[in-house]
Amino acid sequence: MIDIIYRIGHFILITLFTTALGLLFMGIARKIVARIQKRYGPPFYQPYLDVLKLFGKDAITHGFIFDFGAVMALGGVIATLFFIPLGSWQLYSMEGTVLLIIYFLAVASLGMAMGTVGSGNPQASVGISRALTQMLGYELPYLVILFSLIYRYQTSSVWGLMQAQSGSFLNWNLFAYPLMALVAFVVLIGMMGKKPFDAMIAPAEIGSGPVVESGGKYLGMLLLQKSITIIIELALYVNLFLGGADNIFSFSFKMLIVWILATMFGSLFPRFRIEDGVKFFWKWPLGIAILQALYIII
Amino acid sequence: MLIKYIFIPAAAAFAAYVLNKKNKKAGATITALVSAYLLVSLSLLYGSWELSQSFSLSLMGYQLEFLMALTPLSWLFAVLTAAISLLIAIFSIESQADFKFSSVFNLNFLLVIASIMGVFFARDFLTLFIFWELMTWTSFYLISSGKKKMAAKAAYRYLILSTAAAYSFLMAVIFIFQQTGSFAFEPAAQFLLNNSAPQSILLLSAISLPFLVKAGIFPLHVWVKDAHGNAPKEFSPFLSGMLLKVGIYGLIVVFHQLSFFKIIENTISYRGLPLLSYLFALLGAVTIITGTILAIRQEDMKKLIAYSSISQMGYIIIGIAIATPLGFTGSMLHLMNHLIFKSTIFLALAAVIYRTGTTKMYEMGGLIFRMPLTFAAYLTAIIALAGIPPTNGFISKWVIYQALIEKGYLFLALAAFFGSIASFMYVFKPLSTVFLGQLKPQHQEIKEVPLMMKIPMLILIGVIVFFGVFPGIQMNIITQISGYLGIESVNYSLYSIQGAFSAWNSLYIFNIFTAGFVIALLVFGFAKKSKLVGLLDTYSSGEYITDAESYHYAYQYYRPFDRLFDNLAAKSLTGFYETLTANLLKSGESLRRIFAGGRVQNYALYSVLLFVILAAVGWII
Repeated sequence: MIDIIYRIGHFILITLFTTALGLLFMGIARKIVARIQKRYGPPFYQPYLDVLKLFGKDAITHGFIFDFGAVMALGGVIATLFFIPLGSWQLYSMEGTVLLIIYFLAVASLGMAMGTVGSGNPQASVGISRALTQMLGYELPYLVILFSLIYRYQTSSVWGLMQAQSGSFLNWNLFAYPLMALVAFVVLIGMMGKKPFDAMIAPAEIGSGPVVESGGKYLGMLLLQKSITIIIELALYVNLFLGGADNIFSFSFKMLIVWILATMFGSLFPRFRIEDGVKFFWKWPLGIAILQALYIII
Repeated sequence: MLIKYIFIPAAAAFAAYVLNKKNKKAGATITALVSAYLLVSLSLLYGSWELSQSFSLSLMGYQLEFLMALTPLSWLFAVLTAAISLLIAIFSIESQADFKFSSVFNLNFLLVIASIMGVFFARDFLTLFIFWELMTWTSFYLISSGKKKMAAKAAYRYLILSTAAAYSFLMAVIFIFQQTGSFAFEPAAQFLLNNSAPQSILLLSAISLPFLVKAGIFPLHVWVKDAHGNAPKEFSPFLSGMLLKVGIYGLIVVFHQLSFFKIIENTISYRGLPLLSYLFALLGAVTIITGTILAIRQEDMKKLIAYSSISQMGYIIIGIAIATPLGFTGSMLHLMNHLIFKSTIFLALAAVIYRTGTTKMYEMGGLIFRMPLTFAAYLTAIIALAGIPPTNGFISKWVIYQALIEKGYLFLALAAFFGSIASFMYVFKPLSTVFLGQLKPQHQEIKEVPLMMKIPMLILIGVIVFFGVFPGIQMNIITQISGYLGIESVNYSLYSIQGAFSAWNSLYIFNIFTAGFVIALLVFGFAKKSKLVGLLDTYSSGEYITDAESYHYAYQYYRPFDRLFDNLAAKSLTGFYETLTANLLKSGESLRRIFAGGRVQNYALYSVLLFVILAAVGWII
């Protein structure tokens, strides 16, 4: 009984912390982008205010699938979260293999896609069709990288891959396999839908695509989902390439560094057309990832 | 007695035909009863692997023996066949009300079941061939009884490919018969093992050709799309779920029981795998990629899922070809799971066709508000197909991935990853265009399908989730099969399977999944209640929306992606075969002109010349 209560407490604590951290990161990103564009920018706590405001507003729905999609999107990322070691925090991370995490994230994407297309707005459908196409672009190099890492260290759990880099910081995959880390970084930018790869949200073109119909608590839930997704993706990167960390503070610090770099890179380039984005991912990141994988397996 | 599993459906087939003429529902009911009997009776046979039966016949001086036996492998396939035909039969009791050929459908369907049972129990080539041909012909009639004009053409293509392959099978078998004097598998395997390796490989390739055609492996997949797309809606689940798998059954027999793997064991190898096996696995990889890319381009939902079947068969082929314990296990798991979720998808689509009468995706939309259960069935099945936990589809794909990464087969893994990620794209297309989006005015009055059609879908939804949590049940029989074929088995328990690098525990996954959902539901529930508005009440950048039809994004859903492969798709393999046929006809024509030219005297001359040559040869020898 105590064990169960402890676990439930842990569940809630991790969820709250990650959400808060993700929102903070989003606030910081807005500030950075503003400064790059020579604006003053909103305060770093703006996303917190946004979430509070959104949950207080009236909202419209387009039927039960619209509601279900929002729940599935948030539930999917929260479930994924428990499989990832966050510093010393790990609930089920021993069970979670990297492949499982990638597929679990897809639950959230599917939920979001289903909900927004269920609104009947064609702009949402266009956005989703673009997002899924782009996903095929960036997931392939990422999975090839995971293939090489799993083959190299003979373990597929994130925890195991993190342990394999322990010791000096020169053991980090960032230094051991810099090309791989670079490819994963580009993939990370694509995953987060940052700038050259943001054709699926394209606010001026298709009305923010997937979120076009969401308002009030739906947008609030998608904002929470986004903040947790950011943490999951950053945590994967830190665990796989920066050797993880043994406490949550240095872990968060590492995530912050990666996030700031990704934000900065993500505000420099103009947008790719969707098929050009896919072509880019299959040409450079996938090519380099395959070469690296060949080097490892031979 | 095994013969009764063939005899009973065959006899019932004619009863179904006659009775169905009187009452439209009789045929499907008889099919359901027979399948239920087969399912129960076969399930009770679990474990009695020594069961066998033989008949002998003396024909023109040859002593022919027909052998049948129950092996774990044939048991699994037979039970799956019975189970899926039961569900389809229950479904078609209602759905065939307006189907003109329902008598012929049930006649042929029961004959297909009978002949498939024969194929699975056969222990010699002759029995196998007879039932194989019976299966091909009856399924040919089934496909061609589809409603559309295209059905006949599609079935014709299927028949041509199957027949050509069957000839190659027959020739190889007769060659072996001449050497060994028996049609049975064991002497043949012995003979092939002691024979020179290149000849054995050639013979076995000829034997496996019909199986490759049936399994829809690249480059022999051209029949699959049109056959699935145009077959009667009730037969498509069986065609995709079971008939493709019969090819896999044949391949397993060739690989393990006819000792193909033993013959190539000591040939050149790549990463510990004989090169031929690797090439075969590569064929599976190409099948995955081809099927996937073509599925994404389709506008017809049945053809889209047909291409998806082709691509999923690629996974099964890869696992069987690499033949590691994990690979084989993953393959068998995926075979079962694919049967389950693919027939769910086809049944859901059949329900949609039953109500709307079309298969073109852009002619539908928003059906979720009219057919919620059909939508739920489709959604569960595609979650499984895309390999998302906690469904059965993820487990089998996970095991196959483990097998590929364990040995470092990079390119096979790349194809597997590609097929899996891209499957999100093609399964989402019908979801988005048929079930979601704007409801068409002409579909406003549509209702959910009747109860008898709901039951099979509900059962299948349950099965998908059940096997997603308890894969150990499937592993029991797979372990028996791998023991029987002499493959090492994989460690497992009720909830978990031991992979190469880590274990998979479905119970934890399921719990966490539930926990995540509960938290999200709480967040949703505590927030303010929202107001329900119509589908046309959306943000449209200030445009005034008049009708639902033009406000539905469905046609060419993935146009940017399709643009990447336009050049490749233009060079379609079907086109290649058609050119080949045209060229063959042309060269045949010119040959005919040279030799015959339409003059009877020439024929006489040729006969005389032939006679002279033969006489001369005979005289010299």
